[in-house]
Amino acid sequence: MADKHLSTQFDSELSAVSTRVMEMGGMVESQIRTAVYALSQFNEEAADQVIETEARVNLMEVDIDRELSSIIARRQPTARDLRLLVAISKTTANLERAGDEAEKIARMVKSIIGSGAARNLPASELRTEADLASGLLRKALDGLARLDVNVAVSILKEDDLIDREFDGFVRKLITYMMEDPRTISPSLDLLFVAKAIERIGDHAKNIAEFIIYVVKGADVRHSSMETIESVVK
Amino acid sequence: MSGTGERLAMEALRMQERERIYAQRKRVNQIGLALSLAAMAFGIFWLLWILWETVRLGLGGLTWATLTQMTPPPNDAGGIANAIYGSFLMVTLATFVGTPIGIMAGIYLAEYDTKGWLGSLTRFVNDILLSAPSIVIGLFVYAVVVARFKGFSGWAGVVALALIVIPVVIRTTENMLSLVPAGLREAAYALGAPKWKVIMSITLRAARAGVVTGVLLAVARISGETAPLLFTALNNQFWTSSLSEPMSSLPVTIFKFAMSPYENWQQLAWAGVFLITAAVLGLNILARVLTRTKI
Amino acid sequence: MGTLTAQDERSKISVRNLNFYYGRFHALKGVNLDIPEKKVTAFIGPSGCGKSTLLRTFNRMYELYPDQRAEGEIVLDGENLLASKKDVALIRARVGMVFQKPTPFPMSIYDNIAFGVRLFENLSATDMDERVEWALRKAALWGEVKDKLSQSGAGLSGGQQQRLCIARGIAIKPEVLLLDEPCSALDPISTGKIEELIAELKADYTVVIVTHNMQQAARVSDYTAYMYLGDLVEVGQTEQLFFKPRRKETEDYITGRFG
Repeated sequence: MADKHLSTQFDSELSAVSTRVMEMGGMVESQIRTAVYALSQFNEEAADQVIETEARVNLMEVDIDRELSSIIARRQPTARDLRLLVAISKTTANLERAGDEAEKIARMVKSIIGSGAARNLPASELRTEADLASGLLRKALDGLARLDVNVAVSILKEDDLIDREFDGFVRKLITYMMEDPRTISPSLDLLFVAKAIERIGDHAKNIAEFIIYVVKGADVRHSSMETIESVVK
Repeated sequence: MSGTGERLAMEALRMQERERIYAQRKRVNQIGLALSLAAMAFGIFWLLWILWETVRLGLGGLTWATLTQMTPPPNDAGGIANAIYGSFLMVTLATFVGTPIGIMAGIYLAEYDTKGWLGSLTRFVNDILLSAPSIVIGLFVYAVVVARFKGFSGWAGVVALALIVIPVVIRTTENMLSLVPAGLREAAYALGAPKWKVIMSITLRAARAGVVTGVLLAVARISGETAPLLFTALNNQFWTSSLSEPMSSLPVTIFKFAMSPYENWQQLAWAGVFLITAAVLGLNILARVLTRTKI
Repeated sequence: MGTLTAQDERSKISVRNLNFYYGRFHALKGVNLDIPEKKVTAFIGPSGCGKSTLLRTFNRMYELYPDQRAEGEIVLDGENLLASKKDVALIRARVGMVFQKPTPFPMSIYDNIAFGVRLFENLSATDMDERVEWALRKAALWGEVKDKLSQSGAGLSGGQQQRLCIARGIAIKPEVLLLDEPCSALDPISTGKIEELIAELKADYTVVIVTHNMQQAARVSDYTAYMYLGDLVEVGQTEQLFFKPRRKETEDYITGRFG
């Protein structure tokens, strides 16, 4: 990421921590994919795998944060370096929570399977939303690696799509529940899954906001699309 | 393993070589040290002998009479009081005349004209004067003062001695002032001080010890100068407190008495030598003490 | 070439098109800069960038050396210092300076402080005592020296000597205080004390500090100017400059991408 410092130590520390973040991102991405697979196939094994990975993801978050504190204490980073480290810290937090959401999905899936009403639920409808969300997360991590603001802006725009998908799904579920009140309980579980997926999309969006923070030095959280676009110009 | 064995053997060889070279160096060092000590002992031996003889012969002839009576005719009892007084008077006056001139010139050279042509010229001429044989200075004053005013006098002696004091004081003052760090001057200027004030209150004050030492060394030097006084103040057997007459002085008196065949005169000469040596030694010690206690 | 600060602040010193030469060497190139009043402005940059040179034009210190000259305008409260017909000593009474190496005068601590005051003011003994005490208190040195005012300044530690020099500088009540790397000869604790002092001084004085320690500039100053090879590259609020500098050269310097 950007050109070299006089201190090659500093360079290698930064690149080491960046690599770890990407590793963590990859882990969370695969968690999400596995959770989505568990959901669409109602596969209990896959769900268990997701829950197991959670511990490793949490450990990585702690590790990376410790690394960051160490770099900040020793290097007194300024400007771009400082913003990058802040962004990385926020990214790991968002990744960890995205991982939590994936775990929640897995648990819901297990609960649905347990209740036996699995086959009849419109779970496949969630597929679109899920793919969108995990794709968005992948894009965000990619954008962070390359510090590409344009990717960041497009992510911020696409998050709307996920929200719309979510609303659509909720409507479908409601009609489904109204048709057959016995499906209410597992339907609610599915609703939580949908919500979790939507939140994953939000986390991807947060990461994108920090890409803009690193490159442009502007904090665009809670800003309108107009403001964001003018900042990026 | 043979590899390690080889390495160990090479290590041992290297250690041996190192020790051999070191032992050789140590020997050379010891020889050098011995030679230096021998040279030092040689030098000190002569110095101590001179001092010893001075004290032995001088102190022996030093009585109250020596200090209070006038220079006598040969074989009569007497002292060197007039010589002591003459030396003291002329040295003091020469210092009072030469020091202000020397210090002010030194200030000019160090503070006003470090690179200009006048400064360089002055320094050059000063260096010549500094190493000029004192007899030349004596003859010069003879021609300019004594011949003019048609008589030897104490004043001429004072002039001659002052001409020796001035170059010494100029040189030491300039050197000591240049040693004062530029930062100290800048700090004073930064407060809004005008140049003369920076020089007087800060620079000169900081160099105070060194400048005073220079003056003391000049005094020590002229205390023992004979040649300039030979052609200017000449000598006087009797007491005189008037500087417009020939005046006696310790160095000239010693010169006259030591070369004579009369024993009492030689005795007095040694007493004079002792007095001058003691005075010069005292001044040098004082100069050292001053430079050590930095104020 | 240079940039002015965005001014909500009153400008105490305005530098316009300043060029400075050491003989034939062009050390400062067309510098334009405003120093805001009653704030701390820091000059940073690599060795040889001209930051000390710029500082020393503010009190015309360069005049002590014949082959140094300045061209342009340095306006202090409406008056161009470079063209002023007044005695330079009067300028220096308004623009004080503290140097890198502590230089106590060869006199007592009391006299060190009183020296500058006596140059321009005729104070009675009690008034002078008061002034000396005031200056030493301001420099956070009073407690340590109040019982040895008649002792030589040379007997103090490095940090104390530097604070003495600062007290000496403020005793004459200048309007601007120039600090040329004041802490580089000191240990971290003395440095810390002086940085505390600078924070207090800005209530009464306009402070300009040259430092090669970027973190010090970041800690201590309100505005920072980055210079390189005689050019003023960027100047702005310290927070802004260290968080997101406008020029890539500035960012490269402060992040250590070049020395």
